[in-house]
Order: sequence, then structure tokens, then C-alpha cells
Amino acid sequence: MAVRTWWRIGWRNLGRNRRRSVITAVGLAVGYFSVVVLVGWWDGVVVEMINNGTGIVTGQLQIHDAEYLPDRSVYRTLGGDAGVDVAELLERVTRDPAVSAAAPRVYGGGLVSSGSATAATAFLGVDPERESKVSRIMTSVTEGRLPARGANELLIGSEMARILGAKPGDEVVVVAPAVDGSMGNDLFVVSGVFTSGLSDLDRTFALVPLDALQALMVLDAGRVHEIAAAVPDPWQAAAAAARLDTAVAGAARPLAVEAWTDLRPELLEYAQLSASFNWVLLVIVFGMAIFGVANTMLMSTFERRHEFALLLALGTVPSGIVRSVLYESIALGVIGLLTGAVVTLPVLVWWHHAPPDLSWLVGDFTMAGALVRPVLRVEYPWTMAWQAAVALFLTAALAALYPAIRASRVAPADTLSGR
Amino acid sequence: MVEHSTRRRWRRRLGAFLLPVAAGLALLPHVQPVVAQESAREIVDRVDRLLRGNSSRGTVRMDIVTEHWSRSMEMRIWSLGTEYALIRVTAPQKDAGTATLKAGNDIWNYLPRVDRTIKLPPSLMSASWMGSHFTNDDLVKESRIIDDYDIEIAFEGVRDGGEVWEFELTPKPEAAVVWGRIVEQVRKRDLMPLWARYYDDRGALARSLRFEEFRTMGGRLVPARMVVEPTDKPGESTVITYADLEFDVPIDASFFSLRRLQRETGSN
Repeated sequence: MAVRTWWRIGWRNLGRNRRRSVITAVGLAVGYFSVVVLVGWWDGVVVEMINNGTGIVTGQLQIHDAEYLPDRSVYRTLGGDAGVDVAELLERVTRDPAVSAAAPRVYGGGLVSSGSATAATAFLGVDPERESKVSRIMTSVTEGRLPARGANELLIGSEMARILGAKPGDEVVVVAPAVDGSMGNDLFVVSGVFTSGLSDLDRTFALVPLDALQALMVLDAGRVHEIAAAVPDPWQAAAAAARLDTAVAGAARPLAVEAWTDLRPELLEYAQLSASFNWVLLVIVFGMAIFGVANTMLMSTFERRHEFALLLALGTVPSGIVRSVLYESIALGVIGLLTGAVVTLPVLVWWHHAPPDLSWLVGDFTMAGALVRPVLRVEYPWTMAWQAAVALFLTAALAALYPAIRASRVAPADTLSGR
Repeated sequence: MVEHSTRRRWRRRLGAFLLPVAAGLALLPHVQPVVAQESAREIVDRVDRLLRGNSSRGTVRMDIVTEHWSRSMEMRIWSLGTEYALIRVTAPQKDAGTATLKAGNDIWNYLPRVDRTIKLPPSLMSASWMGSHFTNDDLVKESRIIDDYDIEIAFEGVRDGGEVWEFELTPKPEAAVVWGRIVEQVRKRDLMPLWARYYDDRGALARSLRFEEFRTMGGRLVPARMVVEPTDKPGESTVITYADLEFDVPIDASFFSLRRLQRETGSN
């Protein structure tokens, strides 16, 4: 008999016990839905973790003097003591297709003192306009405003503001060792307070206009420690870093271009770990489904053993019986997959664009040192969607194999005579 | 971590030298020829206390050389025991008037440019003091060598034409020090220390301290110059040279006030 005939028989057999077929198909659909949505949600958490881990201050890509990291010596500015043409370098970095913005930075250590309170402080000198396109710390101002270019103003973290008892408008003393060995000190005005949610930042960071910090630390305008760049798709950052590495090669002093995957390896490791858990999830869910489907198929083939016996007695080849049972199961899989996809897709689209916010239930939490909001935002898990579809078909086929082989080995005479 | 605390501990030990420098080098009034029976412990303690006095007043020049810059500073120093010290920078012009007050375990800095006094937070105690190879901690902490170390004579004889002792100091088991070992050379003639070398717990030399230019100041023979060289930063050093020094000057604890920190200290 032709293949089509066996398909038709398999398909029709599904209708013989509709309730059972529907329940099994729904089981497969639910399995598909759970795997795809769960993986999509988890990918969403990982992307959020990466975005927060790199977006608050790190940036997805950084350029330093080759010897700047890991010691972060204040002397190791880009281009050494001579400095670089910062505007030209920024221009060259933003020309990369994956980079959306770039900003220069100066780092310094020192202290901020207000009244009798003094706090050890990490100063970050920024270009306020450029910086707000690279990192989110500039947008997390909760009181006051950003420091203005060229002014002796600073933006401090909320925890530092509490320690110092300082509020916007207050005058504070800023002390930072300068690169000529002197002790840079000056009066600054607190322009605002930021709250990043990361306690380290909120306690120790102060943002100062780039030029004001350079003046304090006796650094020329061309001397900066870092160019930070934003790469909107974090998975493009490593490739962009490789391209820029070539673009900035040949400088007077070697520069190092590093993506967040190098700067924050713990985030990458976490992302990779969670990807491997996706597989575990897939195996568990469909492993369970196999037994559900196998049970259904065993039942239905047992009920039909008289038919199989009759078919075999009439001269049907056993492989035909195997096929009809396999095709029946695969048809069941198709129904399950279609149902699953029809339910899953709208949920993915909905939760991607308007994710349910669970912050009323659980507060923000940190993961691998990055802030994560309890929001059910999903990333589209296309890879997992087709992997799960394949897994579903394999499940249906594998589960039917044993019942099919059993059905093809029914002994016609014994079965038909009721023995 | 071990390295870090090792360095801190070492700086603290250095402080035991720096402070006394501030404190006035309280050498024995008149150096006697060394009594042969004197034990190693007594000699080391005597050298240790050589650099401590009741009170002192002096003028110091500090030359700092680092990989990236070098600078010289001049300062006036007042001290009372090991509890109080006041240091005021007089040159270069850019830093003139900058002053540091130590009272007990606290350090205040006065910044003339902004006319403000700030109290150093504990987290900055291990930071460099005025860019030198000393830390703020050096100014605050002090302890006696003989309390923390077992001392024995590692060498006794002639080195470079002079009779010397070399003492090997190993930490007592219960001592909160992480130095593996300190070796100190003292010349027999007048009990002047010549050098001290500090080894970490793996036996590697961490830093060295040299004493030079022995002169009589304030009626006492003292090393007028001390050179600190960190082994991990070759070529870097901090040199402290005394221009003048007086001992047992009439100042009391009330001298070391925040008000004094801010204003010119006059003839006192």
C-alpha cells in the first residue's frame, strides 16, 4: 500500500477516541509552551542582567591604555603622558556600525568631605551629554540635576549623600591626588543625587564634569583613562571590539579594546550557564511527555489488537502496521505543536512588549552583581522554539515506536480466536 | 591579602621611625661606649627608643621620587610623646600651609586653598601620606619592637671597616605582625642604626630603610637622613632629612588643637 494510505489510516485512527487524542495533544502543547516561554523569560532575565550589569556604568565596550587594567593607575591615560585627540578617537569609535554612542572618562580616587563627615570616593569624570547616551547612571538622578560642564559640581550616590548628610546645593570639599604628586583639592557644589540600586555605586561613586576632574588632578584635556561605548545588542560587542582593535591599532602607545564579555566575565559565564540549563529543561519536559504519549499509544494499540491481527491475517506486511501507528503518533504531534505554537506566540509577543511586572510581589534582586527587576519580560527564543518543535516530533515518534512494534507482532490466530 | 597587611604592618613599623622623627630623636643624652654584656634585646630596644622623645620641634625636608614624578617638600614638625603630632608644609608654594594633625588615633588635614579641615575616614588610613611612601597609618600607629619580636644576634663583627651587630628579629608566635623577618644593622661605636631590611613571610625582601648623616641635633646624635626604598617599585624612594631638631620643648597637649591646625603656628 502507498505511504499516503498509511498516513490516512493513522490520521483517522486519531478520531476514534477523540477525547484521549485531545488530552494527549494538549499535554504536548503545554510542554511546548512551558519550555519556550520559560526559556524566553529566562533569556529575558539574562539580557536584563547583562544590560544592567553593563549599562549602569560599564558600557558594553571600553578602550584603555594597554597597561591600564587591572591596576587602574591614574598615570596610564590613553596615549600616555601626551594624551590623545579625544574627539577624533570618539568619532572613530562611533563610526563602528554596532556602536551607538561613546564617551570619554577620567577616574580618580580621593575623598569628599562635608562638615565633619568624610567619605572615601571614586571619582568618575564624565562628559555629561555623551555619557547619558552610554550609561544609565546619568539617568538615575533622584534629586537635583546633572553636574554642568566646566563647573565645580558633582553628582553623588544616595548612600554617600546620607553618610555626608549632603543635599543638592551643599558645598563639599573634594580631595584627589594629582598626577604631579600634589594633593588636588577644591570646593565643589553637590548638583544632584543618583540612585543606581547597586549599593557599591551609591556609596562610593561621585560623577564630576570631565574638565573639572582633569583640572583637579592636573591632567591635560587630552588625557582620559577610558572611552566607554554603548553597543545596543550586547552579543555584538565582542565583534565590535575586534573591529575597533584594528581601527585604533598603530597609536603611539598600544590601546586595549575590550567588550563586556572580557570586562565582566562573570556575566558571560552566567549567560552560558543559563543556556546550558535550557537543554536540561528541554530534556526533562519532553522526557516526561514521552511516557504520556507512549501510554496513550499503548492503550490505543491494545484496544485495536483484533484489527491488527485481522490485517496481518489478510496479508498486510508488519511494517505497514508499524507505519500506521507511527504516523498516528506523529499526526498527534503536529496537532500538539500547532496548538502549542498558537498559544505560545501571542504570549511571547505580549510579554515581550508589555511584560507583567511582579515588583508588587518581589523586590529588585541582584544576580552576578547586576541589578534585575522582577519583570516577566521575554526575549524571543527562536532557537529554542524550533529545537522544542524538533524535540516534540522526536517525542511523538519515539513514544510510538514500542507500541507500533508490539502491534506488528500480534499473533493473528491466537488473537482472533480470543485466546 | 597577606601582602597587603604585610605592607601595612611594615608601614606601621616605619611609622615607629617616622613619628619619632616627628617626635624628636631621643637618643641617649651622651652615648657611652657599649657595654659588652648588654643583651641583644636591650640594644634593639635602645635603638628603637632612640627615635622617641618626650616632645620635639623640627624642620624636615622630604624628597619623594616615584616612577611618574618627583617632588620635594619642606615642613615643620611638632610632637608630644607618641600621641600628638602636627606637621605643616612650608614649601613648595602650592602646598604651603597644608597641615596634618594627629591626636590619638585620629588624623585631620587642613587644606589652605579651600580653608577647610577634613577628618580622614578609617578607609584612607592605608593611603599614602602627601604622596610619599609613608601612609596615614604610619602617623597614627606605634608599637615597640621588643614586644612583638624575638631578637637574636645574627652577626657580630666587622663590616665595611666598622664593628657592627646584625640583629635578626622574628615575630613572636602570638604577635599580630605578618613580617617573616626583620634584619637590622647597628654599629657598635655609638649604637647608631645603619639599616633595616624587612622581609615578607615568604622570605623576600619587601623594603629597606637606610639611616645616614649622623649629626648632633638638639644635643643628641641622630641619623639626620632616612631613606625608604620599596623593593616592589625599583627606583622609587622617600628621603627624610632633618634641617634642625630640638628636644623636650615646652609644649603640651593643648598645643595640638584643630584651631592650631588651621592657623600659622608662629614661633612655637
